[in-house]
Amino acid sequence: MTQIIKTEWLKIKNYPAFWWVFGITALTYPGINYLFLYAYHDIVSQKSTTGQVLKALMGNPFSLPEGWRTMAFFSSFFIYIPAIVVIMLITNEYTYRTNRQNIIDGWSRKNFMTAKMIDVLLLSAIVTVLYVVVVLFIGLSNTNMSAAGKWDLMYYTGLFFLQTFSQLSIAFTVGMLLRKAFIALAIFTFYSIIVETIAVNVLHYQYKSEAGKFFPMEISDRLLTKPVFLGKIDEVAYQQSLDAVKYHVVYSIVLLILTWLFCFWLNNRRDL
Amino acid sequence: MRIRKPGITLCHKVLFMIEEKKVGLPVLTLDDLTKSYGAVQALKSVSFEVPEGSVFGILGPNGSGKTTLLSIILDVLKANKGNFLWFGHAGSKEQRKRIGSLLETPNFYHYLSAVNNLKITQSISGRGNIQDIDEVLKKVRLYERRNSRFSTFSLGMKQRLAIAAALLGDPKVLVFDEPTNGLDPVGIAEIRQLIIELRSNGHTIIMASHLLDEVEKVCTHAAILRTGELLITGKVEEILVDDDVVELSASDLDALVNVLKQLSEHVLSNDQLNTVQVTFPKGTAKLDEINAFCYKNGIVLNHLILKKKRLEARFFELTNN
Repeated sequence: MTQIIKTEWLKIKNYPAFWWVFGITALTYPGINYLFLYAYHDIVSQKSTTGQVLKALMGNPFSLPEGWRTMAFFSSFFIYIPAIVVIMLITNEYTYRTNRQNIIDGWSRKNFMTAKMIDVLLLSAIVTVLYVVVVLFIGLSNTNMSAAGKWDLMYYTGLFFLQTFSQLSIAFTVGMLLRKAFIALAIFTFYSIIVETIAVNVLHYQYKSEAGKFFPMEISDRLLTKPVFLGKIDEVAYQQSLDAVKYHVVYSIVLLILTWLFCFWLNNRRDL
Repeated sequence: MRIRKPGITLCHKVLFMIEEKKVGLPVLTLDDLTKSYGAVQALKSVSFEVPEGSVFGILGPNGSGKTTLLSIILDVLKANKGNFLWFGHAGSKEQRKRIGSLLETPNFYHYLSAVNNLKITQSISGRGNIQDIDEVLKKVRLYERRNSRFSTFSLGMKQRLAIAAALLGDPKVLVFDEPTNGLDPVGIAEIRQLIIELRSNGHTIIMASHLLDEVEKVCTHAAILRTGELLITGKVEEILVDDDVVELSASDLDALVNVLKQLSEHVLSNDQLNTVQVTFPKGTAKLDEINAFCYKNGIVLNHLILKKKRLEARFFELTNN
């Protein structure tokens, strides 16, 4: 295992494109949350009646413990940035045909796929650490130090990690299937943002069906519920979404296992 | 020399070896390897052995299955049927770590330098160390460019880096697929010399090539493939002396050809050189009898010689090109 991690590090450490995208990822997560934070402060600082009503309705979604949920939700919008890294890491191997060279040099196909799974796992962990750092920075600076229950929603860290790993694994699968970085990224983004969103909503609103919750991205999207202030629009539906999280944890884990089993199977089966 | 024997099992092979009292196992044993790409059959029940210490050439025209064969023994492709043994054991990652390989094009990370690419080879294969990386780069004349990115290399330099990767850690078995691809004449001569040196140091080299001259110069053994079928395999000199080739000339070349056709079916005239080549079964060409036969039929020869057949001629003959 150490040898696999060492080899992957040798591939990455002098790869400028990787560090550029990684840098963008590192800036995006604090960036998006600060953007929403400034928007929030801008709204609630207004002396108008509307501003004061909104302040009363919203509370402070960036204070802890609610900040764990709010920032997990906003951060999850930017899964497409680390997805670029994941797609790059796998499609590069096909572009340069180094996947077959790794096998020729003495890896088994299982070793190769394990190496890639570790890449995705580590990237998910790094993105999660970024999320935690952002929550601690913004959350603690917006929370009264004597406030109770600051860490109550800290389990959102686990949910955020599970969602990130699940969705990056889907991005990896798309990259592995299509083998071309640009096409894989375009398909992944188009499917996630357009196709699945439309399909889930059409099923929900037109056919009154909840089958959309089993779509690949939607399964883990429902791990991170909206911030409480958005839930006030339909409190019953919001409570249902909170209650459904535990089921989506199970669905996400099952999907993750199936995704990687498929990747290992495909890599083992096809000619390189 | 062994012509392909379909239906011979691995068990039979082991028995043959015991009967032949061979010392040591062959480095590589192929048994009934078959591979298809859809309707196209790229390899058809190919079986042969590569003896230890040999330089084994795999020859064949484009599309004959050379690279497919090497890809299967390096686990890049899966055979539809048959199997192979490295050092008497089923192919595995541990076996591949002991083999230095160059398959088709050089495959490296374009954004990494020569040294960093070889560090990856070293990390995966476990062959050699950091000092060895410098040594192999010196051997292929890339040391001065060791810190340059692979993407900046010329085709010849990329090929030399791939050879350096194969040589890393001095593996006893090397697999080269068209090792002189993209090299200039000096580079080709250097690789030829390198292969000869490796052979004299007891290395086993398996080399696919369509450069017949190269193979003839460096190989001890060869296998010739055509459209996935093994035509012949054995020691190079045995393949070459399979037939007697007699070269003749006379003032009337057409008349000479007509007379010689009474002696052999294989008569080939070369108008440019003003010669005729006649092929006879091995050991049956008697120059004095041929001379007398021609004279009796009114032809006076001005040139008569028994030639050792060149691999090129044998290759064209076998592959019907």
